[in-house]
This record gives sequence, structure tokens and C-alpha cells, in this order.
Amino acid sequence: MVKVKIEPGLYDRARRAAAAAGYSSLDEFIADCIEKGIQRQKIEEQEGPVSDQLRGLGYIE
Amino acid sequence: MPSEIIVVSGLPRSGTSLMMQMLDRGGVPVVTDVIREADVDNPRGYYEFERVKKIKDDAAWIPEARGKAVKMVSQLLYDLPSSENYLVIFMERDLDEVLLSQEKMLERLNRSSAPRDQIKPAFVRHLNQLRVWLAAQRHIALLDVRYNDLVAHPEQQAARVSAFLGGRADVQAMAAAVDPALYRNRKPSGEQSV
Repeated sequence: MVKVKIEPGLYDRARRAAAAAGYSSLDEFIADCIEKGIQRQKIEEQEGPVSDQLRGLGYIE
Repeated sequence: MPSEIIVVSGLPRSGTSLMMQMLDRGGVPVVTDVIREADVDNPRGYYEFERVKKIKDDAAWIPEARGKAVKMVSQLLYDLPSSENYLVIFMERDLDEVLLSQEKMLERLNRSSAPRDQIKPAFVRHLNQLRVWLAAQRHIALLDVRYNDLVAHPEQQAARVSAFLGGRADVQAMAAAVDPALYRNRKPSGEQSV
């Protein structure tokens, strides 16, 4: 495991968001956010035409 | 109340609205805001929930969807929080029929559609990658339902769906929601596609 530093304000907001979304811990929430961020970056790189079509049809923003 | 969230997914125009309608008729609570109203493309309504489109930035509504069904286009499945468990009903339909239907819808919306020879391989890649990702998700259980099978054998497919959901949906009521007259964008008979 490694440690990452974040601002106290962001920490508090993340803690509230994790609780609201039903995560069992802040660690789980942050790990999920990072996974999603990496996945989103990959999708945006590889799925540009699909995203454009879905956006045109009104299924994503 | 069951804690899993039922997600009806697939490509646009693959029968996701029909599946939502079936679940609704079958007694499964559905999450919808009726903001996107019924039109010529979906005469019985879209069964959408606007906040789904913003799930990347706001997933606070997710816990409230436990035990209910929500419709979500395939690309947004990646954004489901892993803190919940999901029963995903994935609608499959011939890709040429899906694209034909999408093209007609885009035309009615006065929006441009990518050329078929470019968008088709992009959708194939998207579906292949999604399948690999789905298979690795421990918090997601998956049931594939083929649109053509649904139209041809509604009771059989409704029974499969109900069993997947633990028997909580009324099979007869679900099957009665299927109207073959709404299967409009067919590819010419005899033509094969991926």
C-alpha cells in the first residue's frame, strides 16, 4: 500500500460523498474513483466515435 | 426488499425500453422520471432517468435504486460504483438493425450520424471491450437477452428474466408487454451481420 496526500477540504468532501454513495470506507471510495478515472480516460481515447453517436442520440452527456 | 440494483443495458435501439416496460408490467419497481417523453422512436416511452447520464459526476442516487430497475446505456456501465451489487440485463440485437434504427432516430433529431462503415467497427470494439470488463466485475451478474428471441418467444424470455431476478417478476404480465408490431427496423431477410 502507498500513501497519497490530499487537501483536508477535499478529504472531508470525499468522506461525505463516500458515505452518501454507500461505500464501506473512504479507501474503497477513493480506489473506485481512481479506477473509474483511468477507465474513463481509456474510453475517451478509444471510443470517440461511439461517444459522439451516443451523445447525438441523447443517451450520454 | 432485494438489495441488488437491476440495470437494463445495451446499445441504444437494442430493446432496452421494451425490457424496462416488461419489468414495469411484471411488477418490478422502475426508476424513471418521464422527462424524455414517448415519441415516434419509442411510442411507449423511454423509461429513462436523467441522473443516469450524469453518473460520472453524481452517483448519490444509486443507493435509492436498490431493488429497482434502471436503464443505462452500455458505455455508462463502467461508472457503476462497485459499492453496490447489480443484476444487469443486457439487450443484444443485430448490429445493422441497431445502426439503422439509430440513423433514423438521428435523422429525425436533425443530427448527423457517423458513416456506417466507421461506426460499426467502433461499436464492435466497444462491445468486445465491455464484455471483457464485465466478466471481471465481481459485483455484476449478467443476463444476455436477444431482442429477436424476445419478440419471437416472449414468454420463454420473460421466464429467463424472472428467474435471473429470483422469480420476483410476473412472467405472463412481462410477456404481454411485447408487441411484435414495434419490431420495425429489420434488415432485409437473408442478410447476415455480426
